[in-house]
Amino acid sequence: MADLFPPLVTAQIDGKPPKADEKVDYSNLPCPVPYDELHREAYMSLKSETFEGLRFDFSKGLNQRFSLSHSVMMGPTEVPSQSPDTTIKIPTAHYEFGANYFDPKLMLVGRVMTDGRLNARLKADLSDKLILKANAQLTGEPHMSHAVFNFDYMGKDYRAQLQLGNSALVGATYIQSVTPRLSLGGEVFWAGVPRKSGIGYAARYETDQMVASAQVASTGNVVMNYVQKISEKVSLATDFVYNYFSRDVVASVGYDYILRQSRVRGKIDSNGVTSALLEERLSMGLNFLLSAEGFFFSQVDHKKKDYKFGFGLTVG
Amino acid sequence: MAAKASLKIKGKGGKGSKESSSSKYEVFKEWTNWSLKKAKVATHYGFIPLIIILGMKSDPNTHIFQLLSPV
Repeated sequence: MADLFPPLVTAQIDGKPPKADEKVDYSNLPCPVPYDELHREAYMSLKSETFEGLRFDFSKGLNQRFSLSHSVMMGPTEVPSQSPDTTIKIPTAHYEFGANYFDPKLMLVGRVMTDGRLNARLKADLSDKLILKANAQLTGEPHMSHAVFNFDYMGKDYRAQLQLGNSALVGATYIQSVTPRLSLGGEVFWAGVPRKSGIGYAARYETDQMVASAQVASTGNVVMNYVQKISEKVSLATDFVYNYFSRDVVASVGYDYILRQSRVRGKIDSNGVTSALLEERLSMGLNFLLSAEGFFFSQVDHKKKDYKFGFGLTVG
Repeated sequence: MAAKASLKIKGKGGKGSKESSSSKYEVFKEWTNWSLKKAKVATHYGFIPLIIILGMKSDPNTHIFQLLSPV
C-alpha cells in the first residue's frame, strides 16, 4: 500500500499560494475531503493493518483494467468468550479469490472465501458529480449479510452523502469548506434494528505541514487527532478518543516513515499496547510485510493483553 | 409482523377499505422482501463471474486460459 499514500491535501487547489496575508477568495474554496476520510492522515499511522499469522497475496494483472488476486491467510482468529479475561483463539486458514475491474467510471472489487462469504464493493460515477458506492458482505447464513449503499454528491466546495443500509439504516453526512484550510461537517443517522439515531459534528483544519481534525457524535464518541508532517519521509500523529457514556479514554501516538524501499508505521497507546508494521519492497512487485503487536506495562487492561506477530509476502 | 397480523384480524369488523389498503401494503412488503432475497442470491453467486466477464471483454480480450495459467 506504500504507493497509494496520498500527499497531504494542500490549500493550493484553487491555484493561489497560501500566504497568510493574501486575501481569501471565499467564492473559490477547494472541495473538502469526504466525511469518511476526515481522519485519513491520522489513521495511516494509527490504525495500520497489523495482523497475526501468515499472509500471502498474489495479484495477477491480465489487462489494464482487470486483475485477479489469490490470497492465503493462516493464523488464529479471536472468538469472544464467556469470561472477559480470556479470549479464545482458533487457528484458521483461508483462501480468498478476488477479482477487480477498474474503469474510469466503474470500479468493481469482489472477494470470495472458501466458506462462501462474498465481500463486494462497487463504485460507479453516475454523473460528473454524483457517485454511487456500495459495499456488501454476503454469507450463506440467513440474516448475517450486510449491504450499504452510498450516494455521494460533490459540489463546488461541499460534499453531501446519503447512506442506505440493510436492516433499515439511513444516514446522511455533509461537509463544507469554510476557509481554504478549515472544513466543517455534520452527520445524522437512524438505525432501524437497534432503534437508535445519532447526530455528529466534525471539523478539519489542514495546512501543508499539518492536519488537525475533531469529531463528536451523540453515541458518546469524541475523537481528536493531529498529524504533523516533519519531512517528506516522516510524519507523526497523535490521537485522543473519549467516550462520555462508557468513560473509556485512549490516547495514542504514532509515526509513519516512508523510505525508498520500505515503509514503517508504528504506534503506542495509553493502554500500553504498541504495534508496528513494516512493508519492505524486496524487488519490483515483491513486498514483504512484518507486523507486531504487544504490550509494555503489566497493569494493562486484561482484554488487551496479547502478543501478536505476523509476516507476509505480496506478489504483484 | 405478528402484531400487524393481529391488527388485521381485529379490524375485519367494519373497516373494509382500510383493510384492503393495509393488505396492499403487506403485499408490497412481501414483494420487496422476495425480490431482495432473490437479488441477494443473484449477487452472491453472480458478482465475481460478472467481474470476470466484464474484464475478459475489455480491451485486449483475454482468453479463459490466461485466467487459469499461473504466469
